Amino acid sequence: MTISMPGTEPVLSFTDLDVKFGTEFGTVHAVKGISIEVRPGEVLALVGESGSGKSVTSMTALGLLPKNARVTGTITVGDQVIGELDEKGLRTMRGNDVAMVFQEPMTALNPVLTIGTQLTEALELHGIAFGKDADARAVELLRMVGIPEPERRVKQYPHEMSGGQRQRVVIAMAISCNPKVIIADEPTTALDVTVQADILDLLRSLKDKLDTGILLITHNMGVVADMADRVAVMLKGEIVETGTADEVLTRPQHEYTRRLLGSVPHLGQGPGQFGTAPVDQEVLPEGEVPALEVNKLVVEYKRLGKAPFRAVDEVSFTVNAGEIVGLVGESGSGKSTIARCALGLIPAESGDVKIFGHSFDGMRGKDAKALRKRIGVVFQDPASSLNPRFPIGECIAEPLQVHQVGDRRSRDAKVLELLDAVELPRSALNRYPHELSGGQRQRVSIARALTLDPELLVADEPTSALDVSVQASVLAMFTALQERYRFGCIFVSHDLAVIDLLAHRVVVLQDGRVVEQGKREDVLLNPSEEYTKRLLAAAPVPEPAEQRRRRDARHELLAQLGDEIVELHVN
Amino acid sequence: MTDPNTPHRPEKVPTPAGGGINPETSMMEPATGTTTTTEQKSYSQNQLVLRRFLRHKGAMASMIVLVFVTILAISSIGVGPIPGWWDKDYTRAANVINGGSPTLSLFPFTLGEHPFGQDSTGKDYFALVMRGTQISLLIAFVVGLLSTVIGTIIGGLAGFYRGWVESVLMRLTDLVIVIPLLVLAAVLGKIAASWGVWGLALMLALVTWTGLARLVRGEVLSLREREFVASARAIGTGSRRIIFKHILPNTVGVIIVSATLSIASAILLETALSFLGFGVRPPDVSLGSLISQYQNAFTTRPWLFWWPGLFILAIALTVNFIGDGLRDAFDPRQNRNKD
Amino acid sequence: MTKFILRRMGISFLVLLGGSLLLFVLTINSGDPIEDLRESNADNRDYLIRQRTAYMGLDQPWYSRYWEWLTGAAKCVTLNCDLGTNRNGVEVTSLLGNAASSTLRLVVLATVLAIVIGITVGILTAIRQYSGFDYVVTFLAFLFFSLPVFWAAVLLKEYGAIRFNDWIVEPTFTPLQILVTAGLLGIAVQAVMGGDLKRRALTAGATLVFVGAVMYYFSAVEWFRRPAFGAVLILVVGVAAAVGITALLAGLKNRKVMWSALTTVGAGLAVYFAFLPVLREPTWLSLLAILALVVVLGAVSGWFWGGYSRRLAMGVSVAVGVVMAFLIVVDRAVAGWMGLLSLKSRPISTIGSQTPNFTGDFWESFLDKGVQIILPTIVLTLVSVASYTRYTRSSMLEVLEQDYVRTARSKGLSERVVIVKHAFRNALIPITTIVAFDFAGLIGGAIITEQVFGWKGMGELFQTGLKTVDPAPVMAFFLVTGTAAVLMNLAADLAYAGLDPRIRR
Repeated sequence: MTISMPGTEPVLSFTDLDVKFGTEFGTVHAVKGISIEVRPGEVLALVGESGSGKSVTSMTALGLLPKNARVTGTITVGDQVIGELDEKGLRTMRGNDVAMVFQEPMTALNPVLTIGTQLTEALELHGIAFGKDADARAVELLRMVGIPEPERRVKQYPHEMSGGQRQRVVIAMAISCNPKVIIADEPTTALDVTVQADILDLLRSLKDKLDTGILLITHNMGVVADMADRVAVMLKGEIVETGTADEVLTRPQHEYTRRLLGSVPHLGQGPGQFGTAPVDQEVLPEGEVPALEVNKLVVEYKRLGKAPFRAVDEVSFTVNAGEIVGLVGESGSGKSTIARCALGLIPAESGDVKIFGHSFDGMRGKDAKALRKRIGVVFQDPASSLNPRFPIGECIAEPLQVHQVGDRRSRDAKVLELLDAVELPRSALNRYPHELSGGQRQRVSIARALTLDPELLVADEPTSALDVSVQASVLAMFTALQERYRFGCIFVSHDLAVIDLLAHRVVVLQDGRVVEQGKREDVLLNPSEEYTKRLLAAAPVPEPAEQRRRRDARHELLAQLGDEIVELHVN
Repeated sequence: MTDPNTPHRPEKVPTPAGGGINPETSMMEPATGTTTTTEQKSYSQNQLVLRRFLRHKGAMASMIVLVFVTILAISSIGVGPIPGWWDKDYTRAANVINGGSPTLSLFPFTLGEHPFGQDSTGKDYFALVMRGTQISLLIAFVVGLLSTVIGTIIGGLAGFYRGWVESVLMRLTDLVIVIPLLVLAAVLGKIAASWGVWGLALMLALVTWTGLARLVRGEVLSLREREFVASARAIGTGSRRIIFKHILPNTVGVIIVSATLSIASAILLETALSFLGFGVRPPDVSLGSLISQYQNAFTTRPWLFWWPGLFILAIALTVNFIGDGLRDAFDPRQNRNKD
Repeated sequence: MTKFILRRMGISFLVLLGGSLLLFVLTINSGDPIEDLRESNADNRDYLIRQRTAYMGLDQPWYSRYWEWLTGAAKCVTLNCDLGTNRNGVEVTSLLGNAASSTLRLVVLATVLAIVIGITVGILTAIRQYSGFDYVVTFLAFLFFSLPVFWAAVLLKEYGAIRFNDWIVEPTFTPLQILVTAGLLGIAVQAVMGGDLKRRALTAGATLVFVGAVMYYFSAVEWFRRPAFGAVLILVVGVAAAVGITALLAGLKNRKVMWSALTTVGAGLAVYFAFLPVLREPTWLSLLAILALVVVLGAVSGWFWGGYSRRLAMGVSVAVGVVMAFLIVVDRAVAGWMGLLSLKSRPISTIGSQTPNFTGDFWESFLDKGVQIILPTIVLTLVSVASYTRYTRSSMLEVLEQDYVRTARSKGLSERVVIVKHAFRNALIPITTIVAFDFAGLIGGAIITEQVFGWKGMGELFQTGLKTVDPAPVMAFFLVTGTAAVLMNLAADLAYAGLDPRIRR
């Protein structure tokens, strides 16, 4: 399956790589005889969903798998064969020949050591520089990855930096010993979209200027389109398709690749993608009470010994009955806080939240309960959104029980109806949450939210923890259900493409303030605010040619706004 | 404050030190998410815990030993008016035979006249040790149970209601903690001197709940932030239902494990107090008071010292191992990847 | 940060105040303080009752008795404590002084030992998770948790003191004893060191031969009656420690640190010879000054050798300096052993913290107190070691699973650096809390140990106080444990801030 290209020797190659894990539940065959290679100055994207074995593959290159792993096949880095190296040889190779950039910049750096220490130790270990020289080199590395005031930063600890800066530090660490190849395992997955674009720019310029090979592991097709020269698609431990980025992304051969690409929401194509119900834009009759009305809402978090932190600052918007409003923003924008405040879970500092004209403030228990009956809620994390001790049937029926609706038989009938509606088998009734996959659990959450036929649904990042193909089917189902039950909805998401395909109206938030709001087409296709423009420009699309255009357009936009385009500074 | 919107996390590669890797989700999760679970048996959390516990060899062996010791203690000399199969009384003095040496023999197994020997006044030491075991076990279990109830209530209330309730209850906990456990127990034990065994157990329960209260509070605080509790609250679920249906059942693991371990520490505390003379008083005996009474007989009649000590050790050790087995069975870390 | 610590201190102080009130009220209600006099047939019974009533203030209401105690205790701030009188009219303040010094000596020693042993063993078991060594340590930890302390103490008294005293008359080992001990140690060492089968066999064999030879030699020369240490052994052990500590903390490649550590060993020996006359008959002050000098010389050597890695070199050299100071003390103590044996043919007595009316020189009375503290310390240490081992193990295992440890490994760092530099400091953070929490509890636990070993410490003060319903000694006990608790919490907060930059402000 490998494509041979004469002239350049691969810096990293896997031949017939096979990995099995012995566990208490039997053997798990994680990687089933795959062969791929990365050449200098080339980005090979290894694409797959969770459980495809892509991360396991990358860890074999460093010899860093747990003891219960059995690896066969040949892995070569430069001219060294990993299997033939002893522990010492492996350590010399790590960092020196292969470096790693991990997914979570928040946890990838040691919290109790300074940035400087963590940078210099690899330099000293591999004999690149010692003492004062190493310090100077560390400063230079930080400057290279575009961290301002590097002299000050080397003395700081990781917690004093933002996620994007930390990821730059991790990249600086990775390039510190001039490795032949960098393995980047989901390097931007934990980052906001604008930061992601910057980091991708940095990685791109790095491979161009240093001629480093990059093995990029990702599930995000937009990132693939933005970065990859070649792509290998992995499914359940096997490579089902390889080729250049253009070939794979525009003319996918394998059925799985096609399905995967078909599941990626495409920013700018609006509603109707992969079978989602088209959003009809009927204007609601004047005078009807809006489902949710947020007026000059302020939410503050108290902090010990410091001024309170204002998470939401004078936010106003409305959600009409039967309308989906997308709340979109990056981390720290206050979007989830607004959702929770709308549910009456956290108190407002000032301003008010009215649901069907009523406010939870000062409401008696009974009335509040009656009001809550009209609201449904879906949270982000499928792991914690269902009580692990309830079987699925009880999870879904709980709202009926709490509000004492119907008798046992009618409740059971309702549960079965909802299971059908969210496309889960009826046999799931007696299963427990831990027996279901993430996607299935999120369907249960949605079913539960719809039990009482709510007039308002609050969905807080309901699909962001799911694989794309699962996300696609959940979104399709979600829009179909909205079509059927006509509930008003606030849909919180960081993903513009998701908002694009289902929202009627969009509210863009930044640092707790509303930047821009309006109809979906207006905000997403023709933004007027600078921040929205940046946000839109940074979101990658899964088509290499179009993404190249978008990238250039983004760079132009940044230049216009007077920002620097991130690149590696090499003198 | 950042939004809890960590986007998509793909599979977690176990670190080298991490050991096992879970096949059910991290490797095998059906990519489409719509695949149905096939006709396998469905297990609730409790059933899973029970299965794991039953497979824990150390805990099961300990369970057998503990049950054996308990049955032995109860059946041999009987309880209250009900007589047991052992014919000698722990209060009656008799002639000292052969210097009071134990007559127990293992090969061939015979109990003899006085299997654990006799004390200096000729009392049958087997009957005495059995009585001591009864009392010590009784106190340990009552203390374990009571302190668990107190700790759960106080910790649960503090964690659930927050605010001033939490401040008051946690300062109360600090107050009890700031006095060393043995000191407070000794003072209360002295106060309860005339109240008999049950009074002593009550007093010990009043000083041993603090650890659990802190633990339960922490657990409740973290459960409160879990999305299923927020979701239950958002649909209008009342406090009572949230506490009893959503929060308490999910703290059961912590509570059971801690209750077990508190039984082990209760038996050590009671015997220590009795040893010091602030616990069980004559005419009643506990394993601790037996050791206290006969500690100077070590060189002349070592069996008077060995038997009660070995029984305390056996009980505490088995209970601790059972607790460990339960902790392994409940341990969320084993389900970390399963989430 | 300062604000945070002050706030916490304030809360601790209030809690302490509440605790004192609670304990006072409970104590005075725990019985009848003049019960024994009421039943007595003495002629001056009424006079005795009146006298005791006056001493204890029994004619006053409980709150004014408490207030009186509190105001007296408050004077401790000006180092002018007045803790009242016990029921016989003796000043509790003076009683407390002696009692606290012997108890704190015991508890501090036990805590330090427990921390060092517990954390070391905990880390080793975490590194060798699921090995035979891990299982054995786990089992022992459970055993120590479950051990009735008083029972273990009596056992230790029998085997550690009485049987040892019998043995020291003619301190030889039988070949069987040598073989079994050396064999067991061989098995233990190879389990800790690990490696493949060949390496393990080699380790076990080498240990067996070495221990066997040493034991045979000691037995042959009756070393335990006529021990000798001497400059040569100080040098050998010192160099081994220097190399070992350097290898652990800096790696042997770092020559500057290595030279600095070795220089410290040399400096230590030089100090030893220079001050040998003083060391033969020192005072506490001169001894401490000499030991401090060794440590300071270590720091100085680190400063001069260190160059770029100055801080590291200084740290390593100070550690080596402490080891050298310890070796000097060991050398002198060993030299005094024969003297002790001639004064006291059964060296470890089962009762008391020191031999009454002992007339030895400095080192002999040092040894006298030293051997007396061994057994209670072992008892007290066992339980803490067990819990610290378990905590360290689980904390370490958790840290070793963190992403930054994976990052460190992916840079190519060796396991030594990953564990010492990246994992250990993070693992220590939760342990500081446990240790601080444990300290006051240990003073409480010392009550039993003191009782078994017949120490006249605070445990005795508390017990007699409680038995006679006499609040003053009980409250004095509480004052010490309470203050210790507050101070240890403060220490833990400071340690926390030192270890974790995230909470420094």
